[in-house]
Amino acid sequence: MENRLKEIIESLIFMSLEPLTLEKIKGVLTEFNEREIEQAINELLETFVTNERGIQIIQAAGGYLFSTKPEHDSWIKRLLKLERKNRLSSAALETLSAIAYHQPITLAEISALRGVDSSHTLKTLLQKRLAKIVGRKKSPGNPLIYRTSEKFLAYFGLNNIKDLPSPEEMSKILEEENISEEDSPTQ
Amino acid sequence: MEASSHYQVKLEVFQGPLDLLLFLIRKKKIKIHDIPMATITREYLDYLNQKDRINLDREAEFLLVAALLIYIKSQMLLPREKPLEEEKDPRQILVDRLLDYERMKAASGLLKEKEEEEMQRWKRTALPAVFSEDEMEYTEVSLFDLAESFFALMKRKETAEIKTIKGQEYSLEEKMKEILDHLEEEDFLDFLDHFNRQESFEEALVAFLGLLELIKARIVTAVQETHFRPIKVWIRKKNVKSS
Repeated sequence: MENRLKEIIESLIFMSLEPLTLEKIKGVLTEFNEREIEQAINELLETFVTNERGIQIIQAAGGYLFSTKPEHDSWIKRLLKLERKNRLSSAALETLSAIAYHQPITLAEISALRGVDSSHTLKTLLQKRLAKIVGRKKSPGNPLIYRTSEKFLAYFGLNNIKDLPSPEEMSKILEEENISEEDSPTQ
Repeated sequence: MEASSHYQVKLEVFQGPLDLLLFLIRKKKIKIHDIPMATITREYLDYLNQKDRINLDREAEFLLVAALLIYIKSQMLLPREKPLEEEKDPRQILVDRLLDYERMKAASGLLKEKEEEEMQRWKRTALPAVFSEDEMEYTEVSLFDLAESFFALMKRKETAEIKTIKGQEYSLEEKMKEILDHLEEEDFLDFLDHFNRQESFEEALVAFLGLLELIKARIVTAVQETHFRPIKVWIRKKNVKSS
């Protein structure tokens, strides 16, 4: 029975086009209790760690999904006849990190943080659905406020927004970098 | 001369004035917390003077920071009866902004690494959601067609049932969010269905204005296969196949 549960869950994850959350799995498998399901998922994940397969189940955006192994990238691209995937511009990445660390945030606040006008970049991010409008700020002009989306998490392989290093950790990393810069010989 | 031309080239990679400021501070090997205003301001103005042509949009951003630098400098020069407290140091504004900026830069570097990692993983989610070829041939519906359908629908509803008008207010943002939330869940939103769901004429009207806002902002697009076919609202995707 337990083996079957593992298989059922695997097929559910396979058929889902978005990361499948634990809640959704539980909602479908009403005849099993929660503990059984959680245990089966853990066992299922373990089988992918040890077995010799090209695909694995990973956790992102709060759910489970199938992914190929990173080392097979070049062959997959050959199959799909793709040279390379489009990457986000550095302006887009900056804007996303401004949103990610200060959300909910307005366009004016993003522009102030970056020191440049960010309206165009933000528009692109909304189109790509990496950022979303969550309402308006109760301040003069009632500007729209933005947050990062579920797709943002999936895109960067994050399970939760808290997976990003905290501002404090970020400062620590920066300090270490500065120290190592000072140590390095100057030209 | 040599040095100055090299300087210019390097500046091409800067995203904005804060970038430049950070660079100047780094170049002088100065700690952000301890900024000698005179030096930085001079370097900054030198940079502005070096430019023989001015792009107004871009330079306006730079001037903002130049003005901030000069403001801070003037504050520092003013004689005071009592020395300023630590947090009232006018340089603090700049320090805070730069620290925030530096942190954001670092975070975006981190996201870039993450992106690189994830690029090599191909997921089932990467598959475009069942987009058949004929669906791609939808034509965009004009504003007039939309308005016409909307009012025709409302007229039909009006005759079907009479309701008292409730004094409730509907917010445009909420209605816009409703549409976006729907599109997050489903591939498209059926125009007629959506407005049939609205309780009152007021609510439907606000929802319709919300839809128009979203179309104007180019976030969604309303499409139709041919005339007399259902109008569908899609999230605008630049290129379905490339992402």
